[in-house]
Amino acid sequence: MNNYFRKTTSAASLAIFRIAFGLLLFGSVLRFSAKGWINELYIAPKYFFPFFGFEFVRPLGNLTYVLFAVCGLAALMVALGLYYRVASITLFLSFTYIELIDKSTYLNHYYFVSMICLIMIFLPAHVFFSLDARRNPKVHFDEIPLWSVHCIKLFVCIVYLYAGIAKINSDWLLEAQPLRIWLPAKNDLPIIGRLFNYLWVAYAFSWLGCIYDLSIPFLLLKNSTRIFAYGAVVTFHVITSILFPIGMFPYIMISTALIFFSAEFHSSIIQKLGTLLKVSTQFLHPQKQYRYPTMQVKAVLTVFVIFFVIQGAVPLRYAFYPDDLFWTEEGYRFSWRVMLMEKAGYAQFTIRDSEGKKIIADNKEFLTPLQEKMMATQPDMILQYAHILRDHYSKQGFRSPEVFVDSYVSLNGRLGKPLISPQTDLSREKESFYHKPWILPLDHEITGL
Amino acid sequence: MALKMNRQFVYVWFLTIFFWSCGGNGKDPSPEDNGKDRKVILTHWVDNIIVPAYGNFKTKFDAMKAKADAFTTSPTTSTLAEFRVAWVDAYIEWQKVELFEFGPADEYTLRNFFNIYPADVTGIAANLSDPSVNLDLPSSYARQGFPALDYLINEVGADEAQIISFYTTQPDAGKRVAYLKRLTDRMSALLSNVITGWPIYRETFITKTGLDIGSSFGNVVNAFVLYYERHIRSGKIGIPSGATIASAGTVNPDKVEAYYKKDVSLALAKTAHKAAMEFFNGKNVSTGAAGPSFKSYLDALEAKDVTTGTMLSKIINDQFETINTHLDGLAADLSQQVQSDNQPVVETYTSMQKLVRIIKVDMTSAMSVTITYTDNDGD
Repeated sequence: MNNYFRKTTSAASLAIFRIAFGLLLFGSVLRFSAKGWINELYIAPKYFFPFFGFEFVRPLGNLTYVLFAVCGLAALMVALGLYYRVASITLFLSFTYIELIDKSTYLNHYYFVSMICLIMIFLPAHVFFSLDARRNPKVHFDEIPLWSVHCIKLFVCIVYLYAGIAKINSDWLLEAQPLRIWLPAKNDLPIIGRLFNYLWVAYAFSWLGCIYDLSIPFLLLKNSTRIFAYGAVVTFHVITSILFPIGMFPYIMISTALIFFSAEFHSSIIQKLGTLLKVSTQFLHPQKQYRYPTMQVKAVLTVFVIFFVIQGAVPLRYAFYPDDLFWTEEGYRFSWRVMLMEKAGYAQFTIRDSEGKKIIADNKEFLTPLQEKMMATQPDMILQYAHILRDHYSKQGFRSPEVFVDSYVSLNGRLGKPLISPQTDLSREKESFYHKPWILPLDHEITGL
Repeated sequence: MALKMNRQFVYVWFLTIFFWSCGGNGKDPSPEDNGKDRKVILTHWVDNIIVPAYGNFKTKFDAMKAKADAFTTSPTTSTLAEFRVAWVDAYIEWQKVELFEFGPADEYTLRNFFNIYPADVTGIAANLSDPSVNLDLPSSYARQGFPALDYLINEVGADEAQIISFYTTQPDAGKRVAYLKRLTDRMSALLSNVITGWPIYRETFITKTGLDIGSSFGNVVNAFVLYYERHIRSGKIGIPSGATIASAGTVNPDKVEAYYKKDVSLALAKTAHKAAMEFFNGKNVSTGAAGPSFKSYLDALEAKDVTTGTMLSKIINDQFETINTHLDGLAADLSQQVQSDNQPVVETYTSMQKLVRIIKVDMTSAMSVTITYTDNDGD
């Protein structure tokens, strides 16, 4: 074991990863801003849905632009390897803060980015081919501990494996849901579109998608299969980017998977970049090994052990909840459950008080279309919104208002039915990690992992 | 987890992924798959439903316009009577096109100028003294169109003689005649814009087959659901009966459609409901035959209740029928009905609400269409 932790590898792998990841994130921030989403998602809404336990994360109003600027700048600095520690910590904190403002915008790939940023803080990604290394020969190395590269690989493997395991369920494999709904919607694409009219194609996509997720980590790890596997990674993510509106994610995954290539591969890229940028041979070959200071190495390794234990455990927490995961979404987030559900809903709230005051809330007065769409199918957001309404109408002269919801949700092609008990006064219910007994049962079993 | 794989396996595996990704050598869709061709549906809608329905409406509208002109030229008992009859005919026919608020009708926001009710009586009174007032402003929506005409030909006098004197002998009669004429001229011009707009828009309409925001098919689904929810369920039934938000429990007999004519409000609601149902089923306006539609699309997608195996289109059509039955039990004058016995109206609302949920959640979800307008009533 000690032997393993003493092994080193070329610093080129992490350097390439750092540059690619930093630039892609920088690009993402620019894209986000260019689309006007900063205002649309984080400034314009009147109310927000913070995560349980992270209620202290508040929207920043116009300062959100500054937050994004900081995030973009930090991403660029990470790419350049400039003031790397400060930059990587800033990147993690600013990006994560943004993602914690509103649940409505939760996407697994943002969580992925956030976690990679966290890992990066602890890795010596800046010791080679960076401005830091150029400024300060003391932090200039070309060999780094092998395990530091393995951390990224392990995390990517966990993501793919859990994404694959999540697909082992009856809806995905036996019903080809939700792809049988989503694919025909794309049947007007040139050339491949007409294929989506066939049900067997939805089945083929479902099964191959599952096999892909479950096998790709192993195929990427093995030398003999890596090049095929990478071809599959590119193909898979390009196809998903054509079919689904998932923004930068495919490109982030395609770049991330480069980490699986050999040290020689990365070194040769660095060589080419070096020639392009006309840097000295000495800059590319400092011939020094990076070692964590003895005091630090134990701490860093402990951090990673804890991190990976949590990563391994969090996606399994759903097992502690009764009823169906897809329906209740208790333990659904942060688990690499990607594109598994076509869920649509409708929720209408009635607020009344003991003096006979009664009003049905006009959701658009409170929420954006995106927030309303997300809220209508997710019990924890329904509860948060009920509390928003309770507090609002208290101020409007309702005396300890009660809040009831008339909800109707359709999941993976099943006919819609009420999601929340209409008799439950949500104003009194509290958010917790316990099961919410006021979620009505689905009545259809979805079996699987 | 040591998977032992030889190159051959990997090669096969990769080829499969590749085949899957590229789609490979797809055959032509078999006939049953044509049901999923949204271009066919869009084409049927525009050629066999929308354009002919506007044609029919134009016939009735022009007839009304002629009677209106006869009345404004010479306001007499007989020209008034004929105008009133033609107004009802045109208003009924309008219910068959109001749901097409996409493309040209959306561009000109036709509904805003044709059928925002209850009529703004105070506003109309103000406009009568100033017939050249700007009618494009949102505040003037309820001062024009069928609801304003309703007021102007049915309510401005206690009896026919007084209504005629309103336009002949009373002070400002000339201005009133001018305003009435301006309203019908204006409707005529707007309608022409929409009707001439369709042939130009047709090509765009049938080629934007996507389901996302801004595509024709997605737009039609959204317009259809919005129309049924806000303008049939809430506007015609919910608000008068007090079953919706805005009215919160109190009946609003004065908020029915065609309030001053009284006895046609139910007929208007029934016509609109039937038009929505027929559009759902793709009924060809000229031949009456069912054609490509939401129904055929849902059937091609095999959208059904997985528990019972009932097709979603059947569930929707059954609900349309249930609503029909409820509507059949109501009095011709809805304002009188909500005052004398509101319960059947509330029940009609409830059955419409059930349909709204199904078309808004189950239908759109089965089609993978995003609802882009936000919820509820109140506008």
